[in-house]
Amino acid sequence: MNVVFVELDRCIACLSCEQACQFQQAERNRGWSPNIFVNVDIDRRRIYAGTCLQCETALCMEVCPVSALTRDPETAAVIVEEEICLGCGLCVAACPFGYMQIDESLGKATKCDLCGGNPRCVQMCMAKALHFGSINSLAELKRKQTDLRLGLRAVPYDEDDDQ
Amino acid sequence: MMGTTIIENGIVKTLCRMCDNRCSIDVHVRDGNMVGIAPGEGNPSNQGRMCPRGGAALDMFYHPDRIRKPLKRRTDGSFVEISRDRALDEIAEKMLKIKDRCGARSMGIWKGEAVGFLQQEEYARRFARAFGTPNYFSNDSACYNGRFMGHYLVTGFWNPFPYYANADLILLFGTNPPVCHPPFMAEFADAKANGANLVVIDPRLNPIACYADIFAQPLPGTDGALAWGLIRHLVKAGEYDHRLIEHHSIGFEGVVDYAEKFTPEYVEEQTGVYADVVVNIARLIIENRPKVSFYMGAGLEHHDNGVNNIRALVILSCLTGALDIDCGLTWPEEMQRNKLTLYDELPLEGKKPIGADRFPVLYDLRKECHSMTAMDYMLGHGDYPLKGLIITAANPAVTNPNTRKVEEALGSLDLLVVNDLFFTKTAGRAHYILPAASFLERSEIHIDIKYQRVYLTNKVADVPGIQDEYMLWHDLAHRLDFGERYFPWRNETQVNRYILEPSGIGLEQLQAHPEGVQYRPLTFKKHLSRPLPTASGKIELASPYLKNLGFAAIPEYVPPYHLRERSGEYPFLLTTGARKTLFYHSRHQNMEYFRKLHPKAEVEIHPDDAAEPSFAVAS
Repeated sequence: MNVVFVELDRCIACLSCEQACQFQQAERNRGWSPNIFVNVDIDRRRIYAGTCLQCETALCMEVCPVSALTRDPETAAVIVEEEICLGCGLCVAACPFGYMQIDESLGKATKCDLCGGNPRCVQMCMAKALHFGSINSLAELKRKQTDLRLGLRAVPYDEDDDQ
Repeated sequence: MMGTTIIENGIVKTLCRMCDNRCSIDVHVRDGNMVGIAPGEGNPSNQGRMCPRGGAALDMFYHPDRIRKPLKRRTDGSFVEISRDRALDEIAEKMLKIKDRCGARSMGIWKGEAVGFLQQEEYARRFARAFGTPNYFSNDSACYNGRFMGHYLVTGFWNPFPYYANADLILLFGTNPPVCHPPFMAEFADAKANGANLVVIDPRLNPIACYADIFAQPLPGTDGALAWGLIRHLVKAGEYDHRLIEHHSIGFEGVVDYAEKFTPEYVEEQTGVYADVVVNIARLIIENRPKVSFYMGAGLEHHDNGVNNIRALVILSCLTGALDIDCGLTWPEEMQRNKLTLYDELPLEGKKPIGADRFPVLYDLRKECHSMTAMDYMLGHGDYPLKGLIITAANPAVTNPNTRKVEEALGSLDLLVVNDLFFTKTAGRAHYILPAASFLERSEIHIDIKYQRVYLTNKVADVPGIQDEYMLWHDLAHRLDFGERYFPWRNETQVNRYILEPSGIGLEQLQAHPEGVQYRPLTFKKHLSRPLPTASGKIELASPYLKNLGFAAIPEYVPPYHLRERSGEYPFLLTTGARKTLFYHSRHQNMEYFRKLHPKAEVEIHPDDAAEPSFAVAS
């Protein structure tokens, strides 16, 4: 299955993904909470961004007492059935990554539903930091980047140092 | 539902114009309504992505506040609907009256940013010339022209934007890429992945600084001192492109002499950037030259002496040897095309363009009058009166400096015509308001000189009763008796054909390639085989042209006003250039979702300043 993932090294915190998501939610009368988050700690010069990884074993789904969270048969995204959701917040507590939340205006759980298979945030990421692909491709990308970074910073081995 | 779409169902490919980056977009149409916008593929500029600003274009098109009928102001200040024909008849009649009474130059034409540049700008310039007035104005007096001039005076061309991804070092001065140039973001990320260093110079701390190897905060308007300090360091170290300077430049001795006083300590005193940081920036430049990208944003030209501060940085860029290399000062080649400006046909000598006496370089290089000085002419303090103004796609009552004066000046005109999508503050002062077409309602040529590509935008919809920009000028010209001669094309498509004629690229070819066509392959290091487009054919480190006009030949540094005249009464310095990603200049303030995110005007202030007891915040 495909998920939205962030190549953190590329994110410049323009917040377009959050905005795109908010507008998308508003368009569908689903509140005003973005389901992708960009955090900037400007004093420490850190940018962190992320969204739901659509876990194979989704704790949010497992703890929901009314089974309001289901799997979209087409995209395999975990989606909220709003008519059923009571807004109890157990899913928020269960998510190990902090990507479940309650939209205050709706009083319901809200999360990334992959926009039905064409995530708006990815379209709107002009830094190309957001990808829509399999979680394995994320792992591969990370490995490549790590190799590159280690390669860039590697100190050439100097034989003289051994003596 | 407002508007008739060109197709009933499907996708229309065109370019966005919610800002000037002009990303490719796909407009989705269902049952005669535009229902969504998705990024278009194949355009190297946006690489299949877009931004939320563009994503909201339909909200602008279908906005309930759009002006749909021409309006005329009554004596009591209220507006009444009037037919377009009658409005244009009356406007033409009043223009002729002004021309008879005071001369054609007492009419001005003002084209704003919202409608774009290139042919939209050339219509306005053409119309002004044909009417007989040299007084063409735009927002560029306050923005863009400074950068154009700063580059042009040194190299003879305006460098549209380097290919950052190929740089080993990027230096950003006074710019915030996500807001100013969203497509730069991917390029920076690529450059970073390739191991490039980044230096960010900005009084304001933006997230891009998270990636900077050096982030330096100069006092606003002091970039020139920093530039000279870096120049001095390179010259002293002998670390500049000797061959380029020796064979392809003039005025180097003057630069060496003038740079002398800009020691790291003096630069620190002027800019507030620590002396050792200045040295570290210089070292990074030396380590990475010539593969150095400099980008000077609008932040520099919004200060006094801005042109010279930019010139000094262009000179620095030349010293590194980055002239006409892919990641440096690329020298774009224009497409062969017909221009619409009439500058050769109607030179209009001796008409005293407004501001050309005080700002001769602006008029010489841009054939553009000084919009701030225009206010004095409107208020009767000029050499002759400016009595009438046609403003399209601009809102100077909000965007031009000294807004109270601007409002007074606009209110004193005998004729003010405003062509706009919305009832702006400027429109509120107008005698006639004409409903303007949005970018989705026109088909025009767009040229991207960075990639040397040409595009044809596609009209997606028509709105009954609303005409595009070309038809405004066309219909007025025909009422003023120069239509047959200067606006003979019946519609914009005919104009597009005329523009393209010398290019060897046909309209049909562009229609078949909505992602654009490269009009000429990119080449670099052209200065080795042909002279630069300056008067001397070389890099003008010192400008004989400026010397002739009585200005300093080299871009001397002048401390900004706030340093020259330090004020105890006004201890805080406000800069107004910083923007939000969703807004573009003064545009898009009325978009519902955007306002929801930014419901109020925002001022950013340093926490230390905000903590000062003298700083009271009214809620």
